Amino acid sequence: MKPMTKFLILALSLCLMDRAHAQLKFEQTEIELKPTLTDENAVAHFKYKNTGSKPIHINSVNTSCGCTVATLKSNDVPVGESGEITATLTIANRTGMQHKTITVSTDDTAQPQTILTLKANIPTLLDIQPIFVFWKQDEEMKPKTIIVKANADAPVKKINVVSSDPEIETKVEPGSGPKEWKIDVTAKDMKKLHSATLSISPDYPTKTPKVFFATARVIAPLGN
Amino acid sequence: MGGFSLRQALLLALIAFVPAIGEAFYFRNQIPWNSPVPASELVKVETAKEWGAQALWIDARPDDQFARGHYANALSLNEDHWDTQLTNVLTAWSEEKKIVVYCSTQSCSTSRQIAERLRKQANLKNVFVLEGGWEALQASEKK
Repeated sequence: MKPMTKFLILALSLCLMDRAHAQLKFEQTEIELKPTLTDENAVAHFKYKNTGSKPIHINSVNTSCGCTVATLKSNDVPVGESGEITATLTIANRTGMQHKTITVSTDDTAQPQTILTLKANIPTLLDIQPIFVFWKQDEEMKPKTIIVKANADAPVKKINVVSSDPEIETKVEPGSGPKEWKIDVTAKDMKKLHSATLSISPDYPTKTPKVFFATARVIAPLGN
Repeated sequence: MGGFSLRQALLLALIAFVPAIGEAFYFRNQIPWNSPVPASELVKVETAKEWGAQALWIDARPDDQFARGHYANALSLNEDHWDTQLTNVLTAWSEEKKIVVYCSTQSCSTSRQIAERLRKQANLKNVFVLEGGWEALQASEKK
């Protein structure tokens, strides 16, 4: 065999050797979920199979966030066996695109770690902007406006707003578009400091009503 | 001889290049998604401590970790209880305050998300992410 041929075979073998040892094969290492407005969790199933020639032990499965729990039925994966890691993301007050990672550590020396990614685009039932308004005591009292927009897929027809402080009042009016409202917030008393929690309740979902919050305050002027 | 060695080197580079391209394509989605926080939005532990009473400390870690220990006077604000905890933060806020948000470590992303929500949804200014998080805070206490 010519030296050049020998060299090529050696180089190619070195390149492929590392891949040949990878045994715990995942169908997908990244899953993107689209939870609905009423979902409480987003659940991803990462399926795997031991495609190698020796059993594998999964040492640990760690998540990047306390909000995500990853479980598996067995830590031992015999040759040819399949299984899955179930990752559950608690939605709670999360909104928008979430990226959580799950680190799977095994005793496979060729591939000791695999990073799994759970993506979830969590829709918002109500978009409230801003969620905080305030007046300084030394400024003229002008109403502050909070705009509330309901998700296009949600059958929200109206919202109800309650202020926790009687000195801070709210008035709800239709907004500039469909499923949009304008909350005018006024402070009746600017002489004292006030802080009100505004509870904003949409008429959907009816079975498990949701309440959103904004805050309105009368604060001391700077330096006081 | 020199030409042969050069040819070997080029071949080796080519052979290494092909699987590298394949791997880069296969793992294209595993590129870290967290874009770096702009330097202007980060604060070092020493600087934040120098702000004294002007700083409003926000602990973005889960409730159980907050309960086990947190920075003095820090308020808990995480996405599990955003709605209810935010009221406490906004009640404690005043215009001269500088908000310092921290999570567990340098690599955690929760503090960035919480800081971003405070800026965008509550229109708050002077919101900073603490470099190194709770780990760095604890280390600074031991010095």
